[in-house]
Order: sequence, then C-alpha cells, then structure tokens
Amino acid sequence: MSNTIRFLVRRAVAGALTILAIVTVTFVIFWATPTQPATFVYPNVPHLTAWHIQHGDHILGIDRPKRDQYLDYVTHLFRWDFGYTWARGFTLPGQPAAKQGFPITAQLDAQLRVTLSLLLGGAAVVLLLSVPLGAFAGSRIGSLSDRTVSLVALIGVCSHPMVLSVLVRSLFHGRLHWTPPGGYCPLAGGQPGCSGLSDWATHLALPWLTFALLFLALYVRMVRVSIAETLPQDFVRTARAKGASSFRVMTHHILPNAGLRILTMIGMEIGTALGVCIYVEAAFALPGLASRAVFAMSGSTQLDLPVIMALVFVISTIVVVGNFAVDTLYAVLDPRLALGGRPRSEKSAAGGVI
Amino acid sequence: MAPWRLTMARLRRDRWTMGSLILVATVLLLSFAGGPIASRILGHNGYDQLPYAASITQKPVGPLSVVPALNYSAGLTASGELAPPPKGTPNTFLVFGADGPVGRDEFIRVLDGGKTSLEIAIGGALTALLIGFPLGSLGGYIGGIGDAIVSRITDTIMAFPLMLFLVFASVQLDSHIRGIGISWWLPDGVIAEALLIGLFTSFYPTRLIRAQLLQLREAEFVEAAEMVGASRWRTLRSHLLPHLVPTILVWAAVAVATNILLEIGLSFIGAGVQVSTATWGSLLSTTWGTLFQPQTYNSEQFTPWQTVFPTAFVLVAVVSLNQLSEGLRQALDPFTRR
Repeated sequence: MSNTIRFLVRRAVAGALTILAIVTVTFVIFWATPTQPATFVYPNVPHLTAWHIQHGDHILGIDRPKRDQYLDYVTHLFRWDFGYTWARGFTLPGQPAAKQGFPITAQLDAQLRVTLSLLLGGAAVVLLLSVPLGAFAGSRIGSLSDRTVSLVALIGVCSHPMVLSVLVRSLFHGRLHWTPPGGYCPLAGGQPGCSGLSDWATHLALPWLTFALLFLALYVRMVRVSIAETLPQDFVRTARAKGASSFRVMTHHILPNAGLRILTMIGMEIGTALGVCIYVEAAFALPGLASRAVFAMSGSTQLDLPVIMALVFVISTIVVVGNFAVDTLYAVLDPRLALGGRPRSEKSAAGGVI
Repeated sequence: MAPWRLTMARLRRDRWTMGSLILVATVLLLSFAGGPIASRILGHNGYDQLPYAASITQKPVGPLSVVPALNYSAGLTASGELAPPPKGTPNTFLVFGADGPVGRDEFIRVLDGGKTSLEIAIGGALTALLIGFPLGSLGGYIGGIGDAIVSRITDTIMAFPLMLFLVFASVQLDSHIRGIGISWWLPDGVIAEALLIGLFTSFYPTRLIRAQLLQLREAEFVEAAEMVGASRWRTLRSHLLPHLVPTILVWAAVAVATNILLEIGLSFIGAGVQVSTATWGSLLSTTWGTLFQPQTYNSEQFTPWQTVFPTAFVLVAVVSLNQLSEGLRQALDPFTRR
C-alpha cells in the first residue's frame, strides 16, 4: 500500500506544480497583451487622458507592482476567490461607472456546474453505448459487422461538434418537438419553469446525445481493440473450458481486464472533451465554462483579464484533477501500475478538435 | 534499401491501407488541381456570384443544376419572382449546386476549400515538426538539463486548454499576420493559421521524437558512430534520423487529419481565414453559423447539400489518413504478424 500512496503523492505534487505553472504563464501572457483596462472604469470618456488611465488602473488595483499582484492572486486562488470582473455592467451615458465589478467566483461556480453536468452525463452515455458496441465488434474482428460498426462510429469523428449539435437540435427539437430547444435548468431548481431533476435531465438530453455521438468512434475503437487483445489470452480459454457462456466470459472475464485501457483513454480525453464542450454549449445555449471562455477571449467584447484568467485556471484544473482521479482509480484497481507508472496509450485522432 | 522494400511489400498486401493511400492521393489531386481545371471547363470560378443559383427565399439550387451565367439579377417581376434573364444569356452548370444565398459554385468551392484546408493542415504539421524535431533531439539525445526543461514545457502545454490559446493568439495577432498570403495559391491568412496550429500542436512530435531517441541513443550503432569520431550533429543526422522517419510518418498522417478538424473548429469560432476564402471549415460555418450566432433551422433556406459535400470530403480525408497511419505503423514495424 505504501507504494500506492507514494505514487499518488508524487502525481498530486506534479499536478499541483502544473497548475502553478499554468497560472504563472497565463499571468505573464495576459499582462503582456496590449489592453486598455481604464476604459472599463471610464466607459463614457471617448479619449482617455493620462490621468484617466492612471486613475482607472488605480481603481482596478493594477498599478501595484506585478509581483505583489501575482502573490495576491495566487493566495486568493487557494481560497477559491477570483476577485472581481473589470466590467461593471451597463452604465448610462454621462454617468460614472459603478465602483466595483461583479464577483467572479459566483458566476464561475454556476458555469462550472453546467460544464460538469455536461461532461459527466455525456461520459456516462458514451460508456453505456460504446462498451456493448465495442464488445460486439471486438469479438468478431475483421467481419463485416465489425467493419460496419467501426465505419458508422467513425462518422462521429468526422462531423464537427458544431454541425452535429445543430443537426441534433434541429431534428429533436425543430422537427419532433421532443425536447426543449436548449438552455440550462439547475439541478436544485430555483429558475422559472425548472423543477429539479427531470427538467435538468430533459434540458441536457440533447447535449449528452451529441457529446456521446462525437466520442463514440473513439471509445468503440478503443474497446474493440482491448477486447480483441484480451480474447486470445489464457484466462479466457480457461473460463471457456470451465463452461462459462460467452456472455458471462465477456462480462466477468474480458471486460474487467479490458477496462483499464478504457480508463486511460478517459483520462487522456478530458482536455478534448472540454474542447468539444465549447461547441456543444454554444449550440444548446448552455452557460458553461468552455464556451464562456471562448466568448471572453475572442475579442468580441473588451478583454476582461481577471475573468479570462479565472476561466483558464478552472479549465486547466479540471484537466489536472481529472487526470489525478484516473491515476487514483488505477492505483486502487491495479496496484502494480503504481510501480511502473501508467500503461502507455495512444492519443486519439480527435485530439485535435480542442 | 532492404527495409524499405520490405515495408512496401507489406503495404501492398494490405488492401485497406492501399485503398486509403489511393483515396488520400485522390483528395490531394482533386484539391490542388481540381479547382482550376473545373473552373476552366465550367467557365466560372469559386468566387463568381450567380444570383440565379438561389431562389427568392435565398434557398440555393441543388446538385446538377443548370442556371443562367449572369452575375447580376434582372430585377423582380410584379409577382415578386426573379425576372427571367435577358435573351441569349448562356447557361452554366453547377455540379454540387450553389453554396448559399450568394450563389457561388459549391463544387469548385469544395475543391478550392480542400486546397486551403490541406495547405493549413500540412503546413501546421510541418511547422510542428520543425519545432518538435530540435526540441525532441535536445531532450532525447543531448539530455541533461535540456531534457528536464523540454519535458516540463511539454507537460505543462499538454494540460493547457489549447483551443482557447489558439483562439486568443489568432484574435490578438490577427491584424499583424492575417494579411500574409500569395494570390490564389496561398490565400491570406493560410500561413498564419498553419504557423499557429503548428506552434500549439508541436508538443506532440516533441514527445514522440524524444521518446524514440531516448531508446535509440543506447543502441550499439550510435556508440559505434561516436567511437569512430562522428560529431553529435553527424550522428543525429545520418545515423539517428533514418530511424525516426517511420515514427514521423505515422505521426504526420494523423496530424494532418487532426489539423483538418482543428481548422474547421477555428472557422466555427471565427478565428480562421476570411469567410470569403473557401476552406472546408468556412464552407460549413457559412451554413451552420459561428459559435456566437448558431444558425437555426429554416426550411425555406436550408438544403442539406452544403453540409453533405464538405463533410464527405472531410470524412474521406480524415478516415483514410487515419487508416494510412495505422497501416504504415504496422508495415514499418518488423514485429507485426499479419
């Protein structure tokens, strides 16, 4: 057990260092980008004078030494406090802007819940679909049905998340009127027209489906290969020889052994999944992290750097924490791996979608 | 040359891989030569606007349509229909129909779009290789402190939300680099997008090459080369590089496929090349809208063809490149049994 713990501690430290590195790099990159933060404080002044800029920077607290700001930022991160937005909401012409922006943490928590609902639910649907299909195809590799399953699943890789989202929405909402058009219903309720679990699920059904279709190809292929590699092993033959039915051999002997590779795959695809979330969230009008981050960065509005830094931090943290969770699962499921590290796994072709 | 001949022999036996090789070659040929040839035969190019190729509700015509070759409309009739063109107007043929309300030739735009998309994808892979090879060699062959730095950098980059940084960089650097382009062959913004994609995906070849070199540098032939006094550069270039070629080839095929999808993603965010320039991404995003304005389904304007044709090309290119990579990996690996 001590080996496992040592392994997990090592991974946790590496993850924490990665997050710290990301915070530092983001800090440097974003402060090196040319922006004019003072315009947030003086939205109605057409030409900012040197005084406006100085005073604006002072109000935003960015005239302090960079080192102080950095240390301040990092210490606040430990308390899950991201400070205030620079944007101050709507300001009447001729009126001064509000003294302070909105607290970022509250917005971010809400967005995080949306994205996590999408990610976790989507992952569940993917597994529910891909394990049976992959097992089916993997146990008859090279046959026509195997080729068909692989080929059909590949369509998910080649159709872009955006196209697929709009297509799924047009079909199930536009044509069939089965589901609401989009939007998000918090699980806790509290919004008009939303009452807990059932509304939450119906609003997320289409995003989950889209998400699942996109990742189906990857996982079906992965499960298929793992199954095919496990099939000729001795313990499978032994199980057969003892008279187990092929269904029982699959569920009790092959799948548990192939499961580890599927787990690796999930660990490696968290980043990709977040990239897919950008498009799915945008198409279904879900106020999630990924699409908000792209909106904030794409320059359609002025760059609100504290918001962007908070979003980048949270997204990277999801990736790092997700990887750590997978490592932990490993170490528990197969303690041998703690000695030699993770098994190698190829990265998927869709890795580039992010 | 013997290993190469062995590889080729294995490749030739693999039907699926040979098929995908032919498909990749076809897509390349169609993309780079198809556009000009089709323009010459059909008498219009991918930028010519044919108002008669879209109905009054802005619904573009379907495949295999014959429309008047007129780049203006003759006005409306009293009943609100498009007035018939002047007498004697020659007709022109649209193989895949029109691309949208503007009425450009979808067929030529898909071919031209393939050219631009593949230029970006291949350029991105080359850029990634140009960055990844020196870094990977530094990490894997020279080693020491350089290796530590390279490993840390790639580890950090891999945890980054890359798409976000790609968007950020494209938007921020837009005004400086988008204008770089050379005529029809390299439309504005292609070089910039290839460089950015290459930069942000270069960690992958870096890791691959580093891992491969870490194994290879213990090999006896490297020791032998060093013993007879070959410099490090010479050892790397003439003894190690040939062993890296298979790894690079297998990676490159997948990287091009991935970059094609990345380009589509950037188009949907509006951070790609100009919308008027045809790429597979911009063809799809003009139909489906960008991230900021997803199009809603409108039965009066919508035809499936503007999605079907680019998607079909993307599908063929991506699937066959992936299969090619897989086949190459098996053919190049002396230990596979088939």
